[in-house]
Amino acid sequence: MTDPARGSDDRRDLELIARWKGGDERAATELVERHAAALARFAASSGERNDVDELVQDTFVRAFNSLDGFRGDSSFRTWLFTIQRRLQLDRRRAEKRRRDKDEVKEDDASTEYDALDTLVANETQAKLTAAVGRLSPTQREVFSLRVAEGLSYKEIAEAVGTTEGAARVHYHNAMRAVKEFLDE
Amino acid sequence: MNDCTNADIRDQLPDLLHDRLTVDVREVVVAHVADCADCREELELLRDVRGALLIRTPRVDVGQIVAALPKPAAHAAPSRRFVRMDWRIAAAVTFLAVGGSSVALLERTPSGNRSFPDSNVVAAIAAPGSAATDSTSTASATAATAATAASSIAPTASGASTGSSEVASGADVEDAADVSPGGRFSGLSETQLKSLLDDIGQLPDVPVTEPDPVTIQVNTTSPDGQ
Repeated sequence: MTDPARGSDDRRDLELIARWKGGDERAATELVERHAAALARFAASSGERNDVDELVQDTFVRAFNSLDGFRGDSSFRTWLFTIQRRLQLDRRRAEKRRRDKDEVKEDDASTEYDALDTLVANETQAKLTAAVGRLSPTQREVFSLRVAEGLSYKEIAEAVGTTEGAARVHYHNAMRAVKEFLDE
Repeated sequence: MNDCTNADIRDQLPDLLHDRLTVDVREVVVAHVADCADCREELELLRDVRGALLIRTPRVDVGQIVAALPKPAAHAAPSRRFVRMDWRIAAAVTFLAVGGSSVALLERTPSGNRSFPDSNVVAAIAAPGSAATDSTSTASATAATAATAASSIAPTASGASTGSSEVASGADVEDAADVSPGGRFSGLSETQLKSLLDDIGQLPDVPVTEPDPVTIQVNTTSPDGQ
């Protein structure tokens, strides 16, 4: 299965990267505009509530500082997801050390996610958000990348550091859990 | 809410939602969904979830992010640190190449000519001494040694021996030329050797390389006082 839409997106990203390397700063603006919202959503789906803005900014800064390492094997967006996830893990570890607490439990992330329900006015949307919020962090990440961003299992596996098969299993388990929650 | 038994089609519903299927595959999936209530329901659910997730996207300030990015020109130009390192690496490579070549050349020099570096050292040491002594024999020995060095590439030793080389006999020169790294000083007479050693001993600024003598006091008395 080919992906014509993704192919044109990737080509555009590569073109913008080449322009930026050639000294065109406006290309950076377009790259940020194309991917910042997706990164912010991914951050939220990963349980990041505070400083999403800062996390997304750090992701772009790190990405632009190491653009020479981007070979284009994956899409630019998937590469950004990978960088952001590493940054998130680093932050959590640092936070863990700072608070001298045990590992962040899955319930903690879910609670932060559920707290955003008040922002959703529509009742149906609130229920869907709650259903997604009840998923485990990994299920939520995979489900969000698949449903909201339309990533393939291969891209998801790369972004969250798992296998393609495991990403598929996480997605279907998440879908079953959401359906069960809505049927309750 | 039930699941369709066609797992392949269900797998592709998110791709259908994002319009990321090829024309052929899309036709197949759309045809299936048209006849499958479960898949239509799941596709509708996916659409709603996607809408809910998009609505709750946290806001980010694109301008602020762009302002924090590195400048492309700075990104493209090599850093000053790298340039400095570049010169250091080049200097190190040159040094190793020249040094290695010199060692290789010395190793390949015929054994008969290997006496040069050592005789040069002897000449450099002996030449000042020859100017400091009035002894003719010493002068001839040191001058001969210096002459040996002067025949090669030791301008300092050659210049120092200029005054006394006039009194050096041909035999002395030939004998002195036998001085080699193997310690073949047999060509020098006992007097010449002694004079040479005296001259070396009078040289200033010779670093002390041997440790000071250590005096050990041995108590010969037994432990019981006998």
